Amino acid sequence: MSQPTTPTPSDKPATIKIQVDGREVEADPKQPLIRACHDSGVDVPMYCYHPGLTPVGSCRICQVEVAAAPGQPSRVVAACRTPVSPGMVVQTDTPKAHETRRECLEFLLKNHPLDCPICDKAGECDLQDYSFNEGQGKGRSSEPRRKLEKRKSLGDVIVLDEERCILCSRCVRFFQDVTHKPQLTVSGLGSRSTISTFGDKPLTGNYQGNLADICPVGALTLKPFRFQARVWNLSKSLSTCAECSRGCSITVEALRGKEVKRFRPRFNAQVNQYWMCDTGRFAYAPVTQPLAPAGSALGGRLAGAAVRGYGGLELVEVEPALAEAADILAAHPKPLVLLSPFATQEEARAALELCATLGVAARFVSPAPSALKDDLLNTGDPCPNRRGLTELGLAPVEPAQARVELAQARAALLIGERIQELLEPAELAKLPAELRLVVFDVCAHDLPALDVAVGAPTHVEKSGQWLNIDGHVGVLNVAVPPPAGVGPLERTLRELRAALAPSAATR
Amino acid sequence: MKEFERYLLNRIAAANSHTLPVYRQQGGYKAIEKVLKTPLKPEDVIAVMKDSGLRGRGGAGFPTGMKWSFMPDITKDPRPRYLAVNADESEPGTCKDRVLMERDPHGLVEGCLIACYAMRAKAAYIYVRGEYRLSYDRVQAAIDEARAAGLVGKNILGTDFSCDLWMHKGAGAYICGEETGLMESLEGKRGHPRPKPPFPAGSGLWRSPTTVNNVETIFNAPFIVERGPEWFKAMGVPKSTGNFLCGISGHVNKPGVYELPFGLTARQILEEVAGGVWKGRKLKAFFPGGSSTGLMPASAIDVVMDHDSVKAAGSMFGTAAMIFLDETASIPQVMDVTLRFYDHESCGQCSQCREGTQWLHQMFHRIARGKGKREDLDLLVNLANGMAPGKTICALADAAAIPTLAAVKHFRSDFEQCIELGRDPHAPTHAPAPELQGAH
Repeated sequence: MSQPTTPTPSDKPATIKIQVDGREVEADPKQPLIRACHDSGVDVPMYCYHPGLTPVGSCRICQVEVAAAPGQPSRVVAACRTPVSPGMVVQTDTPKAHETRRECLEFLLKNHPLDCPICDKAGECDLQDYSFNEGQGKGRSSEPRRKLEKRKSLGDVIVLDEERCILCSRCVRFFQDVTHKPQLTVSGLGSRSTISTFGDKPLTGNYQGNLADICPVGALTLKPFRFQARVWNLSKSLSTCAECSRGCSITVEALRGKEVKRFRPRFNAQVNQYWMCDTGRFAYAPVTQPLAPAGSALGGRLAGAAVRGYGGLELVEVEPALAEAADILAAHPKPLVLLSPFATQEEARAALELCATLGVAARFVSPAPSALKDDLLNTGDPCPNRRGLTELGLAPVEPAQARVELAQARAALLIGERIQELLEPAELAKLPAELRLVVFDVCAHDLPALDVAVGAPTHVEKSGQWLNIDGHVGVLNVAVPPPAGVGPLERTLRELRAALAPSAATR
Repeated sequence: MKEFERYLLNRIAAANSHTLPVYRQQGGYKAIEKVLKTPLKPEDVIAVMKDSGLRGRGGAGFPTGMKWSFMPDITKDPRPRYLAVNADESEPGTCKDRVLMERDPHGLVEGCLIACYAMRAKAAYIYVRGEYRLSYDRVQAAIDEARAAGLVGKNILGTDFSCDLWMHKGAGAYICGEETGLMESLEGKRGHPRPKPPFPAGSGLWRSPTTVNNVETIFNAPFIVERGPEWFKAMGVPKSTGNFLCGISGHVNKPGVYELPFGLTARQILEEVAGGVWKGRKLKAFFPGGSSTGLMPASAIDVVMDHDSVKAAGSMFGTAAMIFLDETASIPQVMDVTLRFYDHESCGQCSQCREGTQWLHQMFHRIARGKGKREDLDLLVNLANGMAPGKTICALADAAAIPTLAAVKHFRSDFEQCIELGRDPHAPTHAPAPELQGAH
């Protein structure tokens, strides 16, 4: 991890002092007034403003009362388009400021449909929240609301509800400012404006999902998430994306703490800002695999452990499985040990201790870069903890080379989430049955060589750390509990080591 | 009405007044010659303009010389600078610039040259309303003639002053007549007004210092330079100098574009210039300066027509596009069509304007159809106050709110009558207004 350097007077950003709601606060002169308000803990609502996008000052909901200096006449301005100046006096809580924002809100709600009960955004909608806080109980409009398209597909990822749209243009600016490939525009004029793609073509690119995050209302929703959950039933855990070595900071959102429904980016100034790619966003499949059918070790998540008996893989408790694994590894000197690149630092350290006991070196499987690499976030490297494993002294090995070595080995231990997928189960199935294979993975595959399988948690079921491509720590937290019988992988590794060398493990 | 000196429209009586030879015969291009051959320094030209007291003719009435002096010092700011001429004349009622462009385009070209020289602008862009085909063609032809005669382009009149003039045709959006919307449109983008600051003089076209002036404003420059500020100041009233073009329309006997000095009363203009209200009827109301200025009742007819007096009377001088309405006019219907325009032309950026113009229009339309409610009038006032002043990026919301407030203030009883009767007593019987749809 890169060490934060102590700022010297010259490179410390020069701040100026302004007054916000009676308190003196430091403000960055390069940022608009709304940032100074937010940074000092004063809540100013915003729809068109987004800290990651160019401000346009069009929704007008962030209006506050500003005077150039104490005692000077004040006026109401849009905080997102107002630069800060030294000595400025800002008041967000005056009757005039509240009234201006109330008026603005009333106009925004004039044509906004009252479909909150079926809107995916309900519960995390800026318009709903601010209406709840500041809005009036009764609408004064008796005019017909705009009738527009309720479900307009903008490609494979996004659906647009034109009636809900408040034309904040964040989505338009996202493609201008972030991906630098404009795809959306406001078409039509005035109250007939709608968001549309150029030439009505579907959206393309690997970053479309961000539109649903930045949309302040329920106008842009994710096709995979539509009508899947009420957001207040989602428990949120801080985590890190597993799909490339960028390790974007994310929030894992699970329905009632059980089923992962959504990955969303979480602000991290040094890694991903506010964004993530769709590859990472929609990678639920690896973490939502169903359990294997009762009584079987195959066909789904392995809850517990399995060993090869006369009739094939038989479900057993973890302890006898680890005893069997210890027997195999002890009986065959210098077994081959391979780690998944999804292994956390903690798991890798436990694996290294085990390897020391076995007297072998550990390496991690390093698949070839994918074609998903872009110049924004996706590194194309499918190893989320490459940097961390490398720093711990583990060498990478390509899947093809790993399979060659497996075919020649007498015993081998494969450790970690998705390691069989990375080595390709179809290829592993060709390994000779004489190979004594021990696998700690989220599921067991039907491999002739497989002797012992112990279930492991996925990255949303464990806590730990990864180091991303630039050395920033990515934290994993338990978002959903692992299936009953699956313990932390580092514990499994320590128990195996204890079974191998009882005296060493008690140190 | 006493006699006054005319200068703005003197040349257009001649046949082929739009051509270079005729313009030259009438003394054209003498002002730029005076500037370049004397030679006057750019600062001197700006000083003359300031001294003349000329105020912008595009509606706001901002002092032109002062606007020109906002351009940053060339020695400290080497960015190229531009003049943008606002010829997107599209305020309902306004039709004065069209006369100048169609009949005297060289006057505009010469004015552009003087303005560019004064502000050290390397080019001027003339943004012409798309519907003004003849204006576009005539000004373009004038630029071509002038270029061929060495009056536009490199080394004008053999001096080291170079300046190019370019035409741009708008696509019919009212909002592109707003100066920052105009600049966005010139840059090839949607005509969405930009928040200010930065002001155009600091960061305008292509982020360079830019001044945006109305056609008639620019058209005044050669006269002021040639004849001097004292001559100019002698006309009009102390704070609104010179003559202005007054576009008169509505229920009058002689509608048209007239050159008038500041300081006449609206009554003088109606009776002595426009020939009085038509068909022997009485006046009911008038817009003093285009549909975005507050509607005034007949009782205000003695207001003096200059920027400050009209403002003091609670409205705006605007573009001096006077629309007179006779006693048969239905104010609810007038407001219905007025707000229909602003609803249609709002760019849609700011919430208050996008939703507010539509809302006001829907309400006026409903009231005009006899479906109004008692509480509507207070709501109209409340909504209009929520839209303006200064609550949005540009002044289009103000342009919708101001006439709304004025109409309800001065003609409340007309609206109440409409609401009480359940029909508009002034409505023409032949064409009932259709019901508004949510989307239109």
